[in-house]
Amino acid sequence: MTTVAAITREECKTRLATIAGAERVARAGETVTVAASDAEQFSEILRFANSNGIAVTPCGSGTKQSWGNAVEAGIRLDLSRMNKLREHAWQDMTCTVEAGCTWATMQAELAHHGQMVALDPLWPERATVGGIVAANDGGSLRLKYGGLRDLIIGMSVVLADGTIAKTGGKVVKNVAGYDLHKLMTGSFGTLGVITEVNFRLHPLEANTQTWTAVAPEPMQFDRALRSLLDSQLTPSSVQLRLNARECTMDVRVAAPAECMDEHSAKLSKIFGAVELSPSDEIVWQTRQELHDTANAVVLKISTLPSDLCLLCSELQDWAAQKGVEIAVVAQANGLVTATLKTAPDAAIAIIDQLRERLRKVGGSVVALQVPGPLRNSLDVWGCESNALPLMKEIKRRFDPNRILNPGRFVGNI
Amino acid sequence: MLPQGHIEELRVAVGSDGLITGESQLQTYECDGLTNFRVMPGAVVLPRTSAEVQAVVRVCARHKIPFVSRGAGTGLSGGALPSAGGVVISLARMNRILEVNIADKYVVVEPGVINSHVTQRVAPQGYFYAPDPSSQSVCTIGGNVAENSGGAHCLKYGFTVTHTLALEVVLPNGEIVQLGSPTLDAPEYDLAGVFVGSEGTLGVTTKVTLRIVKRPEVVQTLLAAFDSPQAAGQTVSDIIAARMLPSALEIMDTLAIEAAEAAVHANYPMCGGLLLVELDGPGSEVDALMRQVLEICRNNGAQETRLAQSEAERMLVWKGRKAAFAAMGRISPNYIVQDGVIPRTALPRVLSEIDRMATAVGLRVANVFHAGDGNLHPLVLYDRSIDGQEEKALDLSYRILHLCVDSGGSITGEHGVGKEKQEALGYMFSEPDLDTMQLIRCAFDPANISNPDKVFPRTRLCGDKPGPYTPHPLETAGIAEIF
Repeated sequence: MTTVAAITREECKTRLATIAGAERVARAGETVTVAASDAEQFSEILRFANSNGIAVTPCGSGTKQSWGNAVEAGIRLDLSRMNKLREHAWQDMTCTVEAGCTWATMQAELAHHGQMVALDPLWPERATVGGIVAANDGGSLRLKYGGLRDLIIGMSVVLADGTIAKTGGKVVKNVAGYDLHKLMTGSFGTLGVITEVNFRLHPLEANTQTWTAVAPEPMQFDRALRSLLDSQLTPSSVQLRLNARECTMDVRVAAPAECMDEHSAKLSKIFGAVELSPSDEIVWQTRQELHDTANAVVLKISTLPSDLCLLCSELQDWAAQKGVEIAVVAQANGLVTATLKTAPDAAIAIIDQLRERLRKVGGSVVALQVPGPLRNSLDVWGCESNALPLMKEIKRRFDPNRILNPGRFVGNI
Repeated sequence: MLPQGHIEELRVAVGSDGLITGESQLQTYECDGLTNFRVMPGAVVLPRTSAEVQAVVRVCARHKIPFVSRGAGTGLSGGALPSAGGVVISLARMNRILEVNIADKYVVVEPGVINSHVTQRVAPQGYFYAPDPSSQSVCTIGGNVAENSGGAHCLKYGFTVTHTLALEVVLPNGEIVQLGSPTLDAPEYDLAGVFVGSEGTLGVTTKVTLRIVKRPEVVQTLLAAFDSPQAAGQTVSDIIAARMLPSALEIMDTLAIEAAEAAVHANYPMCGGLLLVELDGPGSEVDALMRQVLEICRNNGAQETRLAQSEAERMLVWKGRKAAFAAMGRISPNYIVQDGVIPRTALPRVLSEIDRMATAVGLRVANVFHAGDGNLHPLVLYDRSIDGQEEKALDLSYRILHLCVDSGGSITGEHGVGKEKQEALGYMFSEPDLDTMQLIRCAFDPANISNPDKVFPRTRLCGDKPGPYTPHPLETAGIAEIF
């Protein structure tokens, strides 16, 4: 797309400077970055890009720009100046936040009234609301509170043709019109630029306790995990951690202090012979540590909860057979982060093997982070949906000139 | 109204025993729960399988026949109202529960399965299906998916979309697609999320994978009687401010209590504002939180608090609440149910304003609402036999919706836009917002045959030019008409 653009990068830079101000525009190689200050400026920039066929990448702090297929963008939309919490209606338990606000900044402000968006994404200190939503990231709290689909109640977006549209609203319960925000969540910036998000909020978990159990092999947790998920306990988070040496299971419960002993007793009963000890909140950072592993392939695997222990066990075996160094964090909702440190061929073999294995349960494997050369020789998404033609038609309707992150998402959308 | 040739094609698709064309039988399908709108369909089909639905939709697509899918017809916004001479696809015969997976907490059902039957099926294993619209003993999952139905417990448990993992959908061109998966985060656009609540305008769902939830250890239901709904509303705000997330918070005013009492003798305390609080979870937690709730009620001047002492008593409390709409027939010959949503904090002000507006036109409004999430159900009472009163009541009900939007809320929390609130949708959203929604509709249904003339304030044809509305070439040429 960039190669057919009729105007030069310098002309592009000049034009963007008239929209956002010269000090907000910078050029590095073939990409011009523009840090606009509001949706109207982004609208004007997109109209310009659309009519000149220039590919655009929206960007918060860039923590997840390596996810998905590579995009060569002529314009990078820097959202970092749209970084305010616009509204916190704490009695209504809702908030409106600009897309460039970092997750931690937003949560710190919401905490003044004892509230939070009940989601624990990667790199909260750096990652922005817009990027987290576009990539549909979320961590272990999802077991109790659901994912972004369940927490977002409205959104403002700018479309490829510059249209500024709102969807949803500021109330938790609302079925008026289509939920465009569900389409935008997880669409990797291919359908529009998210400029503002409305969330429903939850009370902060005032009193929490984490317990950890250790076993030599994941299948030793199979019975405990099944009975925990089938119990009437409502843990906030449950995960398995796996490396070459051992397997660990962590459980976090939020409850009034006077109830904690009772929960502890119930948990011990569920775990039976496997010993459970109080541990530290730091164990919930492990997923992020896996993503920070240098030169590793990082996979997002999705399977059914009842399959988790078996899957972990098989992963351990495959890795051992192929001499691959592997580390895994598996959440009880079936979402698994796995890092493989290996040569590209072995990684591709394991990904193919996993996809074949997961097909029967409707599971999936996405290669989120892939070291350099492997990125182009691998289908990072592995989308097998028969709705792909429909998805492409949606993309065509929203972005007929293919300027928004072209090729980034499934089926090279 | 349908040409005989089209009817014969439909007969091939579903067989003679799956086709209704006789006028007296068609009348059953001329409206849904919103009975003041009635349109005769051209034919009704009763398919038994996804393949039969697909065959029907292909006939419709081939001849550009508008169709609407229908479950039990309990919808309150006219979503299942037929197009004149169009086809009604009744999914009543597709009522099998296809799979129950307790370990992974999901069930796969056909769209004609009744909401409460899902819970009945998984109750022996200690599970339930959370969305519980008041019509749950008759309404179907397919209809719930179309409307994104809620119920009294969505404050804590969410809506139909929260519990929908995957859908099989027959697209308006007759193709069958799978949206979503029983596993989370399939690498695709969240089209299942978009489809839920699209009110039948994006296709026909033929299979639904639903999440089920473990029944909590303890459920406690409290009734608290206050002088006014405003005082009950303040109590709700204080409960939320105390960092609690009850499974339900319901308020009824005097008129609603009277009606419910007359209908099901729920033994409610007579008062100006009755608050129902339900807490669930591990026993010790519920006990601790209920003590706090009782204290908050007392601080807000509750005259009486009453904790249901048995499951039977608890069921009776809910029976009264869920019967409240139908019970209005006991105190008024006719009534209009509305479904506005407001931010919770606007409750006292909006209730006073509704009072003022009703008094000004000489009508009574009963109020039943899901107070925890700000979903109001004002019931405008009137008598059709009095000349001009129905128009006055309709006007009042629409002005209440505008009030909800002006207060930062929505025109519908769970009943859908349907035929009833199309104009109000235009009050809530701007033209660019509506045009953007149209991009989705046009991608799914470029021929505009899947429940056309619903939801949106005016029909737009799907031209190829995206973005802001421009007249379709057919419209400019005078071949098609935009209503």
